[in-house]
This record gives sequence, structure tokens and C-alpha cells, in this order.
Amino acid sequence: MRHALTLRIGPATFRIGSAWRAPLAQIAHLYAAYPRVEGAIADFTVRLQPTNMLRRWVRPSIFITGDHGLADAAPMSLAHGLLAAEMGMNLQMALGWRRHLLLHASSVEKDGRALVMTGESGSGKSTLAALLGERGWRLMGDEFALLDLECGAILPFPRLVSLKNGAIDVVADAVGEARMGPLLRATAKGDIRHMIPRDGAVSRMDEGATPRLLLFPRFGHRAEERAVGQGEVFMRLTQASTNYVAAGEAGFRALTRFVADVPARAVDFSSGDEAIAMVERLWDERA
Amino acid sequence: MSAALLVEVLRHPAGAARLNAVGWNGLLAAAKAERLTGALAFRLEGQPVPGAAGPVLADARADAAREAQQALWEADRAAAALHGSGVRPVLLKGAAYVAARLAAGQGRFIGDLDILVPRDALDDVEARLMAAGWEWAKPDPYDDAYYRRWMHELPPMIHAERDRMIDVHHTILPLTARPTPDAAALIADAVDIGGGLSVLSPEDRVVHAVAHLLADGDLQGGLRNLWDIHCLLADVDPARLEARAVRHGLLAHVRQARRLAAGLYGAGSRLTPWDRIIVARFLARDGWGRETRKALVFAFYLRSHWLRMPPLMLARHLWTKWRKGHRPA
Amino acid sequence: MQQGFGTVDAQKTYRRDPADRVTPCTLEDLTLLYHHASGQTHMVISPVPELLACMADGVAMTAGDLHDCLARDYDLGPRDAAEAEIAAHLDALASLGLVRPA
Repeated sequence: MRHALTLRIGPATFRIGSAWRAPLAQIAHLYAAYPRVEGAIADFTVRLQPTNMLRRWVRPSIFITGDHGLADAAPMSLAHGLLAAEMGMNLQMALGWRRHLLLHASSVEKDGRALVMTGESGSGKSTLAALLGERGWRLMGDEFALLDLECGAILPFPRLVSLKNGAIDVVADAVGEARMGPLLRATAKGDIRHMIPRDGAVSRMDEGATPRLLLFPRFGHRAEERAVGQGEVFMRLTQASTNYVAAGEAGFRALTRFVADVPARAVDFSSGDEAIAMVERLWDERA
Repeated sequence: MSAALLVEVLRHPAGAARLNAVGWNGLLAAAKAERLTGALAFRLEGQPVPGAAGPVLADARADAAREAQQALWEADRAAAALHGSGVRPVLLKGAAYVAARLAAGQGRFIGDLDILVPRDALDDVEARLMAAGWEWAKPDPYDDAYYRRWMHELPPMIHAERDRMIDVHHTILPLTARPTPDAAALIADAVDIGGGLSVLSPEDRVVHAVAHLLADGDLQGGLRNLWDIHCLLADVDPARLEARAVRHGLLAHVRQARRLAAGLYGAGSRLTPWDRIIVARFLARDGWGRETRKALVFAFYLRSHWLRMPPLMLARHLWTKWRKGHRPA
Repeated sequence: MQQGFGTVDAQKTYRRDPADRVTPCTLEDLTLLYHHASGQTHMVISPVPELLACMADGVAMTAGDLHDCLARDYDLGPRDAAEAEIAAHLDALASLGLVRPA
């Protein structure tokens, strides 16, 4: 393809090709601190291609595909090319990653132990992970947590943190403009802005941690906390995993071990500060 | 052209040792696009491969093993649903290759379960599958009427709980296609493999794969189908295959498939000009896994419908499809 | 798991095939069964794990046989109701492919 770059995030290497220069220039800028592995054999190929020949120039619209693609994926405007590249990589991970159990969860680490947070889009798990990453925790990832199938560790996948709508200003104030990407207005999920993780998150991206606490955060509710039964935890985690079925018996063993070993709490909160106080308290109670 | 590279490595796995990283990326992208990663991984077993390619190939082998397992389970469930009906379903394509432990099943991508049953048992089979939890996948009256009137199979069904598709065939080519294979002979000569299931005879397996590739398809996934044929040909006696092809009215197609399989995956063969056009269609894939030669690909899409339908019906069918937003991929 | 109670037959025999083996895991009051043949995970509660344990040696059994097996360790209440419930469980397990009609 006309423009290309190869990028490694945690254990996965992506070769991204694009019909346009701009999306990859933005990716190269925002991922500048990540290992450059140009010319490497990639785990996944991502393609940002015109929906048809004319659409390269006229009201350009991007079709996101690659080794794994969705035939009915909605095309995106070139103005959202950075998001398209990110979605292309996420798509490959969600549909193609097999070397760990992939949980749709954010994770942060302290003293070699991991806090895992899972929930739907809008639950606040990304924002919470981003804020904790600025307050003495190491950000491991905001979207996917990788559960090792043999040893049960959580491994990082610290891509750019994707922030939506109200969360953008909260995090931008905490980290400063230099680590923020361009504002992408009016995407299918509203306004989106990406944040570059701190140096330590990137330089230690091959370093896993033993899971110690699982949270189901829910933003927009009065502060409350409750225990979650193991059966419910198991159900919710299978729903939060795109490759549980593909991982077969190894996935079953890894996930049941995780559920049996890691205490789980559902936490409702109405602000970032409130959530951080709850998380720190729950963490210390487990110490 | 990375599809050509894929064919070359499937033919001579040792040649992979000469590939650089660009070559490997092209090879893997083409294999993924053609759904031949599993077959490639099996062919490369025991060959030295670069460190970064090893895990990709190991993933492909594990995926293939899981798919084989699931295909066997779906076959088992279909047999259980039809138990007591007097119908012994004949497994077709991927599930058959895996169930009969054929080389063609090694690493093969398997999607839907395909079974063949006698046409006069269709209503009973449909009712028993519905009772066992399968339901119609597409509640579209045009597609449904189209399938029932013109196709060689029931409209696709999906299992409500397991989310897996089944295609129930009563013959191996659409009723509108010009060759008319002898469906009764396919079923009469099927081989029992236990568990209430059977597979086609070795010769009929080749004939079916050829029908699927050349007389029916628009050559989408052609490299994979031709790889099946290449592997299946190892189990047949050429004279018996010819006789069988005559019986099903597919002799020219079978001969052409043998030329193509030998030309691409075997020791080589003399290709006709028409063979060469088909080869060009098969190899239309670049180093990013993209389909190239769009005009040629589209010509084959039209041709595949032409082969199956009289022209007026074709126009009507394409018009209906396009109004629904369908385009050849 | 909700096959109609009306269709069950206490005389029907079922068995477990070695090919239908499961890996169990207990989480609090639930049992998860990883079914190797299908790759599916089933979440079950009593008396399903106990029923499957009674059938572990592969011998074909009716709901009545299973009632006798369970009654050794558990108080099952009135026999007719317990047998009907066991028969319904067997029917549901057969539709999942965890046991087969013998």
C-alpha cells in the first residue's frame, strides 16, 4: 500500500497500510515512544483503504479491514483516520489474538500486582485507568487485558488511551496537552481524543503482574459498592472476552482460576475523585 | 503477487527458508485472505521458520484443531437430530475431510456444516432439525423463495444456542446449472464412517469439490478449493474418477481441475488459454492480502451467475441483490 | 435447558460416552462443565453434577436407576416427583449432548 508502518504494542506486532498519509503520520507521532519495528514480520496486517476507487479523493471514506475484517463495517471519514487505524488494530486483536485470553478490560499495576476493571463502553474503566496511571500506578492498558493461559498473570497492552466526551477534559487537565492527540469531533461514539501513556507504561510493556482485584466500575451512579458472586463474575468475563471460546480448555482453566483467585467488587461512582478514593480503599483492604 | 508466493510455498515448503520479512508478511497476508493459513502451517511443520512467524503458524494450527473439533460436534448433533429418521446424512467438504481423517482436512478452515440428504427426505430433515434447535438464518422471503425454487440446498439454518450454520443439500449443483450430477448415485455410494454419518466415495469427493470450484463458484476462495482437490486427488484412481465424472456430467470440469491442481500445486501441466485466465483469477492477491485485477474478479462473479441461471433470471436476480445493497466483495 | 416436561419418559435410558467427557470446576454453589467435544462451557447446579457422577462408568440408566443412585446419598422426597424431575434433566442434558439416549 502507499503508506505503511509497523508497530509493536505489548506482545502484538501490527503492519498498518493506508491509502492516505495523514492517519499514519498521526499514529507515528503518537506512538513515537513505542518500539519501531519497521520491516518486522507482523502478527497482523491492518488496511485502511478507500471504500471504492473514487473515494480516495472525493469525500474520502475509509474502509477498515485487514487479516480480520467485518464485511458490514461502516466506513469512516478521513478526518477520523487516526481512530480508524486504532480500530483496525483493535479489530485484529479482538478477532485474531490467540496467545492469551483477551478480556475487554482496563488494567493498572502497583507492586507487581494488577487491578483489572471491566465494563461496557461508558462504564468509566478507561478514564479510571488513565487517572490511576497518573497517580502512582502503572497503566497496563485501557481496552484489553491479556490473561496468560499458563501462569495466570495479566499482561499489558498499553495502546493509546481512548477518551470520550466528558472524560476528555478530565484527563487532559491531569496529563497536559503534550500527551494528548487531536480532538476527533462527532465520531460514531461522540468526541474522541487519545492520550499517550506515561513513559513507564511503554518501557515496561512486556512486564506482567499477578491479578489481585477485579472491579466492575459503573460511572454515573451514586457511590456504592457490592460483592459479586463467582458465577456472575465468570459469566460477565466470558461476555467480556472475544476469544474465550477460541481458547478452548486452556481458556476455561485460566478463567476459572482467575475467578476463584481474584476477589471481585462492583463499584458505582459519580466522579473520578470518588472512584479513585474507592479503588485505593478497596486495594488497601486487600493488602 | 503474494498469492503466487503462497502457492509456491504450499508446493515446496522448503522454499520458505529463502523468504525475507517482506516475503513472510505477504505470504501470511495471502494465506489469511485465502483461508489457507492452517494448511500452510501444516505444510511448514518441521521447516525452519523465523521466530516471529512461528507463533502465527502455531495459532493457525490451534485454530484449525478447534474448528475440526467443532465441525465434528456439529456433525454429531445433526446425526443425533436425524437419528431414527432412516436418513444417514452425508457430510460434505471440510467436516467430511476431518471426519474421514483425510489430508485435505489438515489445517482446513471449516465454516458451516454441509450435509447431503435425499431430496424426498428434505421435508422430514427440515422438520427434525427445527425440532432440535436449528432455525432459519435469513427471514427474507425473496431469498427463501429463490433457494427453494432454484438452489441445491435449503436456505441456511443456524442453531439457536450454538450459533453454528448448517447447509442441507439435496444435490451438489443448483437446479438451474447445466451439468446435472446424479445425486442418487452420490448417496448410494457414500461410505459409512460410523456415528450415523457417511462421506462421499473418494471419486465423488473430487467430483463434488470440482463442481463447487468450477461449475458453481465465482472462484472466490479458489486457491483453497483447488488445494482441497489437490489433496483429494491423491486418494483416487484416475480411471474410476473419469468414469464417475462422466456419470455426473462433469468430465470436462474434472479434467480442467486436474490440470489446474497439477499446474499450481503439483508437478506442472499443460494449461489451455482458458486455464490461464482462471489461474490469473486465482492469483489475484497482493502483498497486503488485497484482491487485485478487479475487472477480472467481477467478470467471474457475473460468470458464476450466468452458469447457474438463464439470462433473464440472472438480470432479475442481480437487480434484486443490488437493490439490497449487495456488491461482489 | 427447558425442554418440555410433557415429553419426558421415565423408561428412556441414557448413557455417557467417553467422547462426551467434561472437565468440571466448582465456583461457590455453581459447577462449570467444560465439554471437550463441543468446546462449550455449561453452568449447572445440583442435582446435575450428582446425576453425571452416577453415570460416570458409562452404563445405560433410566430415571429410576438414577433415582436409586442419588437416593443413597440424598433425601429426594416423593419418588414420582423426583423421578419426573430427573427424567426432565436427562432430556435437557441429552439436548446439550452431555448424555446420549442409549
